[in-house]
Amino acid sequence: MRELRDQMRDRRTLFMVAILPLLLYPAMGIGMVQMTVLFSEQPRNVVILGADDLPKHPQLLDGDRFVSNWFLIPTDADKLRVITDHKSVEKTDEKAGIPADIQSQKLLKEARDLEVVLKKHQELLDQWDQLEDQESPEQKKLLAQEITDTNVKLSKLFAESQIQVLILIPKGLAQGIERVSERLARHEPIDDDPAVSLRPLVLRNRADEKSKLAYSRAREAMDSWEKEILRARLSRANLPASLPTPINPEVIDLAQDDQLAANLWSKLFPAMLIIMAATGAFYPAIDLGAGEKERGTMETLLISPAKRTEIVLGKFLTVLVFSVSTALLNLASMGFTGRYMANLVGAGALSKIGDLSLPSFSAMFWVIVLLIPLSALFSALCLAFATFARSSKEGQYYLTPLLMVTLGLTVFCLSPAVEINPFYSMMPIVGVALLLKGMLLSSVNAGILYVYAIPVLVTSVGYSLLALWWAIDQFQREDVLFREAERFEVGLWLRHLMKTKDSLPSFAEAGFCFVIIMLLQFGVMNSMSTAIQAATDAERPTRMMQLLMIQQLATIATPALIMGIMLTTSVRKTFRLYLPSFGFLAAGIILPFLLHPLSLELANSLTWFFPKLRSFAALKSMSDPSQSIWLVLTAFALTPAICEELAFRGFILSGFGQRGRVWLAIVLSSLTFGVMHMIPQQVFNASLLGLVLGLMAVHSRSLLPGVVFHFIYNSLGVLHGRIPEAWVPENGLEYFVRIEQGALRYSWPLLLICGVIAVLILRWVQKQSQSKTDLSASGSSDSDSFGRRLTDAK
Amino acid sequence: MIHVEKLSKSFDDLRRGSILALDSVSFDVEAGEIFGLLGPNGAGKTTCLRMLSTVLQPTGGMATVAGYDVFTQPQDVRTHIGFMSCNTGIYDRMTAWEMVEYFGRLYSIEENELQERLDRIFTTLQMQDIKDLLGSKMSTGMKQKVSIARTIIHDPPVLIFDEPTTGLDVLVARAVLKAIEALREEGKCIIFSTHIMREVEKLCDRVAVIYKGKILAIGSLPELEEQYQESDMEELFFKLIQEHEDQLAMKAQ
Repeated sequence: MRELRDQMRDRRTLFMVAILPLLLYPAMGIGMVQMTVLFSEQPRNVVILGADDLPKHPQLLDGDRFVSNWFLIPTDADKLRVITDHKSVEKTDEKAGIPADIQSQKLLKEARDLEVVLKKHQELLDQWDQLEDQESPEQKKLLAQEITDTNVKLSKLFAESQIQVLILIPKGLAQGIERVSERLARHEPIDDDPAVSLRPLVLRNRADEKSKLAYSRAREAMDSWEKEILRARLSRANLPASLPTPINPEVIDLAQDDQLAANLWSKLFPAMLIIMAATGAFYPAIDLGAGEKERGTMETLLISPAKRTEIVLGKFLTVLVFSVSTALLNLASMGFTGRYMANLVGAGALSKIGDLSLPSFSAMFWVIVLLIPLSALFSALCLAFATFARSSKEGQYYLTPLLMVTLGLTVFCLSPAVEINPFYSMMPIVGVALLLKGMLLSSVNAGILYVYAIPVLVTSVGYSLLALWWAIDQFQREDVLFREAERFEVGLWLRHLMKTKDSLPSFAEAGFCFVIIMLLQFGVMNSMSTAIQAATDAERPTRMMQLLMIQQLATIATPALIMGIMLTTSVRKTFRLYLPSFGFLAAGIILPFLLHPLSLELANSLTWFFPKLRSFAALKSMSDPSQSIWLVLTAFALTPAICEELAFRGFILSGFGQRGRVWLAIVLSSLTFGVMHMIPQQVFNASLLGLVLGLMAVHSRSLLPGVVFHFIYNSLGVLHGRIPEAWVPENGLEYFVRIEQGALRYSWPLLLICGVIAVLILRWVQKQSQSKTDLSASGSSDSDSFGRRLTDAK
Repeated sequence: MIHVEKLSKSFDDLRRGSILALDSVSFDVEAGEIFGLLGPNGAGKTTCLRMLSTVLQPTGGMATVAGYDVFTQPQDVRTHIGFMSCNTGIYDRMTAWEMVEYFGRLYSIEENELQERLDRIFTTLQMQDIKDLLGSKMSTGMKQKVSIARTIIHDPPVLIFDEPTTGLDVLVARAVLKAIEALREEGKCIIFSTHIMREVEKLCDRVAVIYKGKILAIGSLPELEEQYQESDMEELFFKLIQEHEDQLAMKAQ
C-alpha cells in the first residue's frame, strides 16, 4: 500500500499513467479533425499530348480535369490537374492567369521532350525485335546498350519534370475507335484495330509515391471511360451489355457494422493492450527497483523485519496495479475518443477504416481477465531487471530491449495470417495477443477460442510466476542489492578471468559458452547449406554427414573444450572425466532402450501441438538405406554423443552447477541443450532427455554414462528409421509394437513397462549417489518430478 | 547483547579477485554501553554492521544479536535492532509522520501503541513542526531526525549507527550524538561506527580500532591509553595503523 501511495505521489508517474492517456487521445482526435480540414491534396499533374485526338464522345476531359463521372468519388477529379496541348484549353488557361499558363507551357515542353526520347526508345526496341537473330553479337550488344541508355535518359527526364503521369494519345485515335465501332455495328470484320496499333502510351514512375497515386487515379478515370466506350459500342452493335463479363458473379458482403468494428478493434486492441501494459509496468518498476537503490531507501527497507519476499510482492503488486490501470485507461480513453470522433466526422473519411463502436461486454471481460496475467508477467520482469540495475538510468537500458522484444512479438501477432494454435497459445505474450485478437474478431466461433483460453491463462500465470520467482531471487542476492559502480575494462576483466581460475567454470562462463555455440551454429548454417547444395545428388547424403560431423566438432565441442582448458584449473573435473562405477554405466546402457519408445511416442502424440515443418534432408539421409550403417552411426550417434556431452554435460552443466544449485543446473543445461536443437519438436524432446542426462552426469560424477546413453539413444533413432516397412511383428511382439504409416510404433503395454523401469532406474541412480554423498534434497525432488512428468506425458 | 565471533566476509572483485572485507572479527557489546568502531573509510565497518543487521550474509564465523543468530534467525534479529546509516534514506514522497508510521507498521506494532509512541518520539526529537513535511522538502538535519525516529520506533534493545554524522553540520551532528547518548541512558546496547576521533572520545565506552578488515585494538579508552602509552586518541590511531602496515610489509618480504 505504501508503495502505491508513494507512486501516486510521484507526479511524473501519475501523469504517465492517468493524465496522459486521458488527454492524449482527445488531443490526437482534435488534431486529426484539424488535419482533415486543413489537409487538401496537391493536385497532381497529368499531361496528355495529342488530346485533340481523343474521341469527342464520350468525353474524357473536362477543361483541365478529368470528367468527374469517371471517378468513384467525384471529388477525386479535383486531385488531378490535366494539362493538354488542346487548342481550346490553352485559351481558357489565359483567362485563369499567366503563372498557371507559364507552368503548363513548361510542363508541355517537358512532355514534348519526353515524347521525343520515348519515340527513339521505342524505335530502338522495334529494331531489337526485328534484328533478333541475324545480327552479330557486337551489334546486338551495341543496340542493347543504346536501349538502356535511352531508358535511363527517359526516366531521368521524367524524374526531373513536374509531370507525374504522361499520356501520349496517338494520332487518329478517335477516328480509329469510331471506325471500329461502326464496323462492329454492321458486324463486319475488323482489319485494323486501334486497340492493337494505336495504343495510347502512359508513362509513370512506380517508385515515386506521387506518380503512383496520380497514375492510380488517372487509371481509374480511363478505365471507366474505356468501359463507357465499350458500352456504347456494344449497344450500337445490338450486343448485350454483359458481353465482356459473361459470368459476372455477384459479391454479397455479409459484414455487419459491429463486425467491421470488431475487425478494427481486434487488430488494434491486443497490440495497444500489450504495449500499454509493458510501458505501464516500466516506470514504476524502475522507480521501485533501481530508484530506491539510488535514493538509499532500499537499505532502510531491507533492515525492517519485512521478509524479502514480502517486499518484492509489495513492489510487484504496485507495479501490477499501475500496469493494469495504464493499459485500461489508455484503451478506454482511446475507445471513447475514437467513438466520439466517429460521431463527429460522421460518414466522412473515418468510415473507411471501419465503425469505431466499442467491443461487446464479454470481449471486454476477456480483455481484463487476460490483461492481469500479462501485466503480471511484465511487472515481474520489469521489477527483476530494475532490481538488478544500479541506477534508474541503467534500469532503462535494461528495459528498453524488453520493450523492443514485446513490440516485435506484437507486430508479429498483428499479421492477419497468424492465428492462435496450441503452440502459440503456450508462448508468452503471443498467446494472449492472439487469443484477444480472435475473441474480439468474432463471437461466432468463440467456442474454440475458449478452449485455448485455458492453456493461455495457465501458461501466462506460469510465466508470470517464473518471472516473479526470478525477481525474488534477484532480491535475495546481496551482490545484486549492493552493487557498487564498478569499472569495467575488457583487458582487466580477461586478466582477472585467467588469473582467478576456479576448478569449475562459473555460471556466466557457462552461459557464455552456450551463446558462443549458438552463434557458431548460426554462422555455420549458411555455409553448410551452400556446401550441401554444391554437392551432387549422389554424394549429397555423404557430404551432409561429413559436414554434420565437422560442424559438431567445430561448433559444439571446440568452444567448450577451449573454454574449459583456458578458464578452469581442472579440466578433468570440469568435463567429469572420471570412470563411473559399473552401476551407472549399466544405467547408461539400459535407459536409452527404455526411453527411446517413450520419447518417440511422446513426440508423435505431440505432433498436433507444434507448427508443421518441412522434413529435413539431413534426417532423410539418416534413414537412407543406401548409406553405410557405420557412417550414419558415426555421424548421428557417436559424434553428437561425444561433442554434445562434452559441451552440455561437461562445461555448461559444471558451470551452472558451480553455485551448488544442482537442480537449477540440470534444468538449465537441459534447456540449453534443447534450444541448441533449434527445431521445436526436437527442442522439446532434447530438453527432456537433457534432464535425464544431466541427472546421470551429476550423480555419477562422470561424463561416460551420458556419452553411452546419448550414443545408444541416437543409434536407436537411426536404426528405428531403418526398419524395413515390410517387417511385421510376430511371436508375441505384436502386443508391443506395430507398424503404422511405414514406421515402427510402440504400443502402450511396452510404454508402461519402459516408463516404470526407467523411473525405477532413475531412482536407483539417485539413491546410489545419495548413499555416497550428501547431495542436496532439491536434486532428488527434481528427479521425482521428472519421473512423474515422463509417466504423465505418456 | 551482541556477540561477534570470528566474523568474516569476502567479496569477489574484478580487479583484486576475492578480497576479505572482514577478517575474523570478534567482540562483545553489553546493554547500556556504546561500542565504537573506529576506522578509516573502507576498513570494513559498514560490512560488519550490515552483517549484524542481516542485510549481508557472513562467509565465516558467527554473530548473535539480542540472543538471535544473524544467520539462522535473521527475522528475529531485524525486529530487535534499529539500524541507521548514511545509506538508509527516507522516502521523498512521504511525510515524516507517514514514514515513521509506515515502518512502525512493518514492525507490526499495535495501532494504538504506535500512535502513542509516534507522538512521544516526535515530541522528544522536536519534530512536531515537520511532521507533515514531505521527505523531499526536508533539510539534511530534518531527514536525519526522521531516520532516528524510524530507528527507534519499535523500541529495539540493540541500536546500530553506521557513521550517522557523515555529511552533517556541527549543530546537527551534535544533536544526533546527544540523541544517541540519551538512548544509552535508556539502557540500549549501541554500536556506533565512525572515522572521527572526537566522536569516539566524547561518546564511546569502549572502542575497537578496525583497519583493513582486522581489529587492531579493543578496549575502553583508558585501557587503550594505558596499553599503548598514548593519551591522544588520534596519535594512538595512527600508531596502530602504522604498526599494522609495517607488519604487512614484513610479511610481504
